[in-house]
Amino acid sequence: MSNEFIALAVPAILLFSALFILLFGFSVHYTKNRGYFITLWTLFIAFLISANGVGETFTLPILPHIFNSMAVYDAFSATFISLFLLGGFLTLAIAKSFVDHTDFFTHESFVLLLFSLFGMVILTMANELLTAFIALEIASMSVYILVGLNRNSLRASEAFFKYLLLGSFAASFYLLGMVLIYASVKSTNLAVIAHYILSTNLEAQLLVIAGSMLIMITIMFKIAAVPFGAWVLDVYEGASFPITAYMAGVFKVAIFAFILRLFLQNFIAYEALYDPLVIGGAMVTLIAGSFLAVTQNSVKKMLAASSVVHSGYLLIAFVSIGEATYSATSAIIFYLFAYFLSAIGAFGVLSYISKGSDKPISYDDLNGLAKSRPIIAASFTLFILSLAGFPSTIGFIAKFYIFTSAIEAGYTILAFFGALAACVSIYYYFKVIAHLYFKESGSVKSDNGEQFSLIFIVVSAIVVLWGGVGTSLLYDLPGINALNELSRYAIGSLGL
Amino acid sequence: MSLLIFLPFITALFLFVVKMPINAVKSVYMVSTLCVASMAIYFYVQFDPSASMQFIEKHSWISQYGIHYSIGVDGVSLGIVMMNALLMPLIALGLYKQRDKKGYWIHLLFVQGGIMGAVLSLDLMLFYLFWEIMLLPIFFMIGLYGYGKNSFVAIKFNIYTIFGSLLMLVAILYLAVSYKEQFGFYSFALDDLKNLKLTTIESLLVFSGFMVAFAIKIPIFPFHTWLSDTYRSAPTGIVIVMSSLMAKLGAYAIWRVLFTLFDETSHQLAPYFIGIGLFGLIFFGISAMNQTHLKRMFALSSASHLSLIVVGFFIYDIYGLVGSSYLIISHALSSAALFLMLAMMYERVQTYTIDTLGGIAKEAPRFALFFAFFALSIVGVPLTSGFVAEVLIILGAFEYNIYVGFLAATSVLIAMLFMFKMISAVLYGDTNERTKNFQDLRVHELMALIPLALLILAMGIFPNYFIKNIEPTAKAFASNKEVTRYE
Repeated sequence: MSNEFIALAVPAILLFSALFILLFGFSVHYTKNRGYFITLWTLFIAFLISANGVGETFTLPILPHIFNSMAVYDAFSATFISLFLLGGFLTLAIAKSFVDHTDFFTHESFVLLLFSLFGMVILTMANELLTAFIALEIASMSVYILVGLNRNSLRASEAFFKYLLLGSFAASFYLLGMVLIYASVKSTNLAVIAHYILSTNLEAQLLVIAGSMLIMITIMFKIAAVPFGAWVLDVYEGASFPITAYMAGVFKVAIFAFILRLFLQNFIAYEALYDPLVIGGAMVTLIAGSFLAVTQNSVKKMLAASSVVHSGYLLIAFVSIGEATYSATSAIIFYLFAYFLSAIGAFGVLSYISKGSDKPISYDDLNGLAKSRPIIAASFTLFILSLAGFPSTIGFIAKFYIFTSAIEAGYTILAFFGALAACVSIYYYFKVIAHLYFKESGSVKSDNGEQFSLIFIVVSAIVVLWGGVGTSLLYDLPGINALNELSRYAIGSLGL
Repeated sequence: MSLLIFLPFITALFLFVVKMPINAVKSVYMVSTLCVASMAIYFYVQFDPSASMQFIEKHSWISQYGIHYSIGVDGVSLGIVMMNALLMPLIALGLYKQRDKKGYWIHLLFVQGGIMGAVLSLDLMLFYLFWEIMLLPIFFMIGLYGYGKNSFVAIKFNIYTIFGSLLMLVAILYLAVSYKEQFGFYSFALDDLKNLKLTTIESLLVFSGFMVAFAIKIPIFPFHTWLSDTYRSAPTGIVIVMSSLMAKLGAYAIWRVLFTLFDETSHQLAPYFIGIGLFGLIFFGISAMNQTHLKRMFALSSASHLSLIVVGFFIYDIYGLVGSSYLIISHALSSAALFLMLAMMYERVQTYTIDTLGGIAKEAPRFALFFAFFALSIVGVPLTSGFVAEVLIILGAFEYNIYVGFLAATSVLIAMLFMFKMISAVLYGDTNERTKNFQDLRVHELMALIPLALLILAMGIFPNYFIKNIEPTAKAFASNKEVTRYE
């Protein structure tokens, strides 16, 4: 498959499928099941197509004569697109049981899901600030509505308004930043900006620096880094489980795709300016996130709070990009993959056992799950171990990369700090396992729910395990090495 | 060699997936552990004392970071490998009647694999992986089959040890990155990292990162606060694993990792650690004296002996090294046997408190004989293996410094004190309603205990046969040191 074809086919498939469901939804032949499977197949096919693009280094402006090189398809975007398409696919596949048990997944929800993925694809390919902004807003708007999908739940509506309000407010910083950059560079194209930064002296760059800082604020908001992540608890709690998983796992990947491109291509020159800020941000994020996570008594909120901690780890690697570009960037990519796999799995298990109710699951609700559903409990344990970074799971390898890159960049103290946060995380994560296995439950649950979701939960659990020990020694399956290779190709295509 | 590590894992996985009656589970467990034991014996016979590291296997694992799956065995690790392989089937024999949960056996297999991996690995990342993996089954065992506030204890124990491990992780990564800076590529192999040049401050920090992890596992003095809770709550299988194998692994790791990598630093810090070790020896001994709960008492007594092992290692000469390695094995045997007997006793009288016991010797002479024998072998009565080991360590201590030797020698006596007191209180005296009709040892229990007793005697009477495997490794190491010693 030629790369031009992939570059056009992936967004096109997502867009056309979304439009199709939008129309089909009004037909008498539409059932929820059909809508669901059309979406799932779309994601699967799109993933297969985009997966063809990874594994080699290339750069390809998309139809430059029409779009004026505002989007570029390279190994970097190919890798990220494949990542979050896979993430979207897994989220949806695991959510089957949840979708069946609820009545608020109308055809619009599938449309919105596809639209948001379309936005993310464009965001990842964007080579220009304005395109990126539009793509970001397409994705965000869709996610806002997805959060408020359950109209009958007060919590969901609250989450929706909170997220919408704060999100739009944060987005305005981006616009302001873009305007400032445009004022001095006279272009929004990333390549032009990079050229400007390299060719002028620092005096003339003041506006660009200010603009880049403002853009960073929006990004920090989106990845829920402290102090811009005040929304995260309420929104994650209010949204239904699959959507929370989607936001925590998939959306974050797309944001990081953009922030990495922006930073690596343009603002790496301001690294000395950024570093103290991001170091502070990483530390505060780790501390505050840990505090939040320890104090929660609903599992969903705990997972939400711990996702803040995970953003903190990612920021550690982000700080290290300046000094250890290669290892830090591939650490981020690997960590994103590991995190979305484990988080989607963990939220997926919660959605599976919640059976569609929007009641927050407390620790006590997990009691005795190991007895009644050993397989679910074992998979959940694996996801939790991976989130905690316990060895022989993919989460450990991810933390290993992050800490190594931090030490390589000379920030040993940050790695030490990350290790402390990981130690705290043992407490709140192992509490889940303790409740799963050590506490007896009063009620006996018998039915096993949707097989379809179960299969994907188990598959993700196996991948989590394989990602931690996987090696081409045993079978000819891609292991840890292969993913590392992929991220190398991806970074290579940014021309560093 | 790899089979030693992975056979337990595979069996455990098999047992987890396949549904079968509990007796079949136990048989599968026995078959698997016996296989491991016979393989270990095969390696022991094949072991060539004159060569240092042997049966090496090496495969690439994460190539970008130079992480290898590399394992091998030398004279010191051989002892722990043997203990790990031999104790596991014996535990099952001893507890055969008591434990009817499938998970119990699965977790024991997991622990065996984890410990085996940690002992054999020559790559720091691999070592770390196994070092952490073995915590998981212990966590589950305490939580699932423990006593008292077990889930609290399980989490506390886990956080405590993982705290140490994470510091070690940072230390390991720091080493690897410095190696890359100096040599241009990543490596986590012990053999490579030993060539590293670090500044004093760096090596001190990295050293303490490792040391905290090991000290928590052993435990050495200020890091012992998890000990008594955990031992009290943990089920017998795990108590045996912790006292005979896991704690020894900490001591072994000091030797394997710290002495290999931080030759000079550990040498300079040795006096402090000897001091801490001696203090621990006395402190834990005295604490043990005041215990009325038998399990806690033995927990503290084994902590006290582990401090002695640490002293032996840090004395840094051939007597200390051989003595400590020998004590690792002999203490593993004795404490495993004692904890097994405690479990048997608990099954009969449902209590661990000394005050409620008494007069067992009258009711159950065979039980009393074995119990007294193992208790005495722990304190190092002549003809038992503990004696040989302690004499060697004390010899080393005298050579190091006369006061250290004197202190070490006298503080061993503390163990005598509380052991004799305990024996007289538990075995002799009047029977009460609890100990009346105390059933004597059954056949399967005897089958578990007799090999241990024989081995202890054999090691006490013919130490040369066993030491000859340890000695060359220790000699090579100590002679290496002799040069740098008084620089």
